[in-house]
Amino acid sequence: MKWLKIILFLLPLLLAFSDLEAQQRFPKPEFHTKYTQPTPTTPEPRGVGMEFVDVLVLLVVLSLTSWFAIKKRSRNGILLLTVFSAIYFGFYRNGCICSVGSVQNVALAFADPKYVISLYALLFFLLPLIFSLFFGRVFCGAACPLGAIQDLLIYKPITIPAWLRKTLGFIPYLYLGLAVLYAATGTEFIICRYDPFIGIYRMNGPHLMIYLGIAFLLMGLFIARPYCRFFCPFGAILNVFSRFSRRHLSVFPTKCIQCKLCTTACPFEAIDFPDEEKTKPDTKSNTRRFILYMALIPVLMLAGSWIGSKSHVFLSKAHPDVYLAELLISHPELKTDSKNIDIQTFLASGKSLETLVAEAQVIRDKFYTGSWILGAFLGLVIGLMAMNQIIFRRREDYQANKGNCYSCGRCLDYCPVE
Amino acid sequence: MQDTQDNIKLFGNLITVSGIFCLAVALLLLINYWHIRQTKPLETEALKSLVQQFQADPESEALKKDIRSLDLLARKAFFTSQWQIKAGALLLLFGAIAFATCLRIYHTMKARILEPLIDGVDSKVTRMLSQRWILITGGLLLGSALVVSFLTTDYLKIYEETGTVVQAPAEPAVKVAVVDKDEKTGRQKTEDGGQEDGKTVVGDAGALVIPAKAGTSPLSSAGVLVTPAKAGAPSLNTDFRNNHPSFRGPWGQGISYHTGIPVDWDGPTEKNIKWKVALTKKGNNSPVIWSDKLFIAGADNESEVVYCFNRLDGKLLWEQDAKDIPGSPAVPPKVTADTGLSAPSVTTDGQQVYAIFATGDILALDMEGKRIWAKSLGVPDNHYGHSSSLICWKDKVIIQFDTNKGGRLLALNSLTGEISWDTPRKAKISWSSPIMAEIDGKLQIITTSSPTVAGYDFDSGAQLWAIDCLSGEVGPSAAFADGLVYAANEYARLAAIKPGPTPVIVWESDEYLPEAASLAVSNGLLFIATSYGMFACYDSKTGKKQWEKEYGQGFYGSPMIAEGKVYVMDRSGAMHIFKVDRTLTSLGDPILGEKSVVTPAFADGAIYLKGEKSLFGIETIRQQKK
Ligand code: SF4
Ligand code: SF4
Repeated sequence: MKWLKIILFLLPLLLAFSDLEAQQRFPKPEFHTKYTQPTPTTPEPRGVGMEFVDVLVLLVVLSLTSWFAIKKRSRNGILLLTVFSAIYFGFYRNGCICSVGSVQNVALAFADPKYVISLYALLFFLLPLIFSLFFGRVFCGAACPLGAIQDLLIYKPITIPAWLRKTLGFIPYLYLGLAVLYAATGTEFIICRYDPFIGIYRMNGPHLMIYLGIAFLLMGLFIARPYCRFFCPFGAILNVFSRFSRRHLSVFPTKCIQCKLCTTACPFEAIDFPDEEKTKPDTKSNTRRFILYMALIPVLMLAGSWIGSKSHVFLSKAHPDVYLAELLISHPELKTDSKNIDIQTFLASGKSLETLVAEAQVIRDKFYTGSWILGAFLGLVIGLMAMNQIIFRRREDYQANKGNCYSCGRCLDYCPVE
Repeated sequence: MQDTQDNIKLFGNLITVSGIFCLAVALLLLINYWHIRQTKPLETEALKSLVQQFQADPESEALKKDIRSLDLLARKAFFTSQWQIKAGALLLLFGAIAFATCLRIYHTMKARILEPLIDGVDSKVTRMLSQRWILITGGLLLGSALVVSFLTTDYLKIYEETGTVVQAPAEPAVKVAVVDKDEKTGRQKTEDGGQEDGKTVVGDAGALVIPAKAGTSPLSSAGVLVTPAKAGAPSLNTDFRNNHPSFRGPWGQGISYHTGIPVDWDGPTEKNIKWKVALTKKGNNSPVIWSDKLFIAGADNESEVVYCFNRLDGKLLWEQDAKDIPGSPAVPPKVTADTGLSAPSVTTDGQQVYAIFATGDILALDMEGKRIWAKSLGVPDNHYGHSSSLICWKDKVIIQFDTNKGGRLLALNSLTGEISWDTPRKAKISWSSPIMAEIDGKLQIITTSSPTVAGYDFDSGAQLWAIDCLSGEVGPSAAFADGLVYAANEYARLAAIKPGPTPVIVWESDEYLPEAASLAVSNGLLFIATSYGMFACYDSKTGKKQWEKEYGQGFYGSPMIAEGKVYVMDRSGAMHIFKVDRTLTSLGDPILGEKSVVTPAFADGAIYLKGEKSLFGIETIRQQKK
């Protein structure tokens, strides 16, 4: 009985770290000894005061980065801050809480009135967004521990064809949508679960997580900041916000003299080149296309929401309750499988299958709503991304793309203009 | 300049060295990781065998010492490898930092102005390509989501829907298929609802007048004594006592009144095995006996069959299919192999035999195998398969019909199949069987389920008392003795209940709890058999444990008491026989030679067992010579 209770208590932990199952566990001895088991202690949460130290540090780093990027134009300053962030937010604070993951806390807080988001998490979410609205992605420039570790390990970046970059740029939105869906339905925080660098910062964790991190870093030697560019869901939001930034880092201090020296500076291909006359689009056909896209977007959204609503069944299978209910329905024989700890714990709880199914159904209904919103959102993103390709903005200088630029400051040193 | 060149070289070399170092450490870590994944220090053969030896000899200090030292060794090995991982990770980190730093310095020193990129890319082409690929990728994503959504099975919906299917035919207004009405030659309905034929008479109160078992010789073919049961006198009559009319004997109480039961046999060498017949269809139901006839049922996806054997020689007398039943599902429901399509045992009142299957089909046959009536109760929504056995008495067949859609207790008129009463129960799905007992002069049906243990009036079906004390998926049926009802379930508790308008739990325990096997009580002692191989005896008045014995095999079949002995068969087919006594006295562990999950049936001088593959008639030679 006691064991069952312990198992019951451990279940959420097991679910959260199911990858850890692979690690060794030592059962109690087979017979009585004089040894008394110590009562397990729960580690104290970080003190409230200390939490605000983190917020303060973040605020200082963001302010300094903005200052270095925009006023001081110092790559070295930003580099120092990057190293600091990797050490402080990464190795010291173990990459938790990070702004990237805070998206999920916010989503859950919106969806579940019972969940109260801590001010700490909220500030970690808001501060980078506010700064990006004014100064661009200074958070990515030096404050983000995930960006920092990748930035420090760029070796020989290769150029990726623009069409491929743009197409892959869809992934962060997909990831963001899924992360919000899973967080809002209380399923899982997938950004945290699949965060590739946490394992490295903590020097611990499921081995697969660590290998994923190493793989990303190795890839990052040649494809600069692969996670930032093609996965980061928070980056997707920052990208949008940053486009409105009034004071963004500028490659040239006063005037671009078209020396083209900065063209090789950005490892992320975030510098937009001026338009050549010959590439100027034919306005008439462009207008036609624009109208076409305007019509296409609602269609894409509708199709997306329909497909989304259809997909809620398989999307919801990730939720532990839905998973368990379906498992028991589809494989009732597993009830006798004493090794299946999920099922055994469920049986021990004395809950009936009927209740479990009812609960699972409630979750699935939530998924229904969530999935069609997700589908519509993705339809919108696809449409807007495609439409963005025909929108022509006049450009005469070599300038950082406000959405894609991480404010790393590399290009600043390349510009000969004083 | 020369200096810079030297430095560039130096840092170039440092990069190579630190790079190789990182790779080597990473490789070692990887190997370590694989190694850990492969080996399970606590699952070594040596430790396992030590533990096994220890279980046989729990007092041995030497064994304890050996296990301890092996365990310590395993733990040491584990923590050493943990330490190795930690140290390796740290080394890797420092290596990586060195690598990154050198890289940075190297590049800064080597930095030269690169040839600017010429705007060779036609932005128009890029824009077109981007549009195309964004749309293609988006389309592919949505398309595959759609395909996947059509390929996924919505089990929750299936669950709900099959529920609806069940609900529909489960209404009381089910058609009764009375078969062979006209062919019932020699068996006509009398006006008062009774039947007459050459052998059996039904009294006006519905009390069955049934052929009793004859003589004391177990082998003599039973003559037919007409022993009328008085109406309104519910006490278990001698006919029922002299037979094994349902699962766990008369009234399902787990007690047999037969004597001369063998305690020694051996399946593999056929010692004392009078006969053995191979089973043709699967069925986890237990044999039921009336006079010389032994009944079992079996079912597969093709058909559901009731078999009647001559218990004296094992000859199959007849078999009858449950076919052409209106409302019966075309495809049998999905059940687990553990339960099967024919888990409920049949029941007989000596005049007819009644059988129910996982399809919800129920039928009544006469003792010659002729169908009297059959009907479908609707497929019970049961994820393992319906397994509650039937019980009959007087003019009623009782069905405990607890499904995922709620619980019911039904009584069908044994002559017509019509519903006599149908009481909804506050019960979740269960797998236990109803038992009957006379409590305060009233004949009651006692059921166990989650969460309720309840008693119902046999005549009206009214609930007389109920108490919530169980949880989980209830399989074990109740027991009754000396005014107390006993109920138990795994993960819940074992409770002795004083039934009454306000029932009270007299004592309870949760040390050993059964998953499938029912309880048996006799002589102030209660017996419990768990699915993990523990057999325990308690004082039925106080709940004090008297003794326990552990077996390597669990118990699914229920313990039965006969002649002051308790018989319980483990899943390997080994019968364990004990004296019903406060001290553990083992009387033998004869084996069947096949796995078995069912409960034995008894007749004077004989025991009938059903294995996975065969049905056994067992008698001792001594008895035979009588
Ligand atoms: S893109 Fe994401 S991971 Fe990269 S630096 Fe920005 S917030 Fe961090
Ligand atoms: S600051 Fe310059 S180099 Fe860095 S990301 Fe922005 S454009 Fe690229």
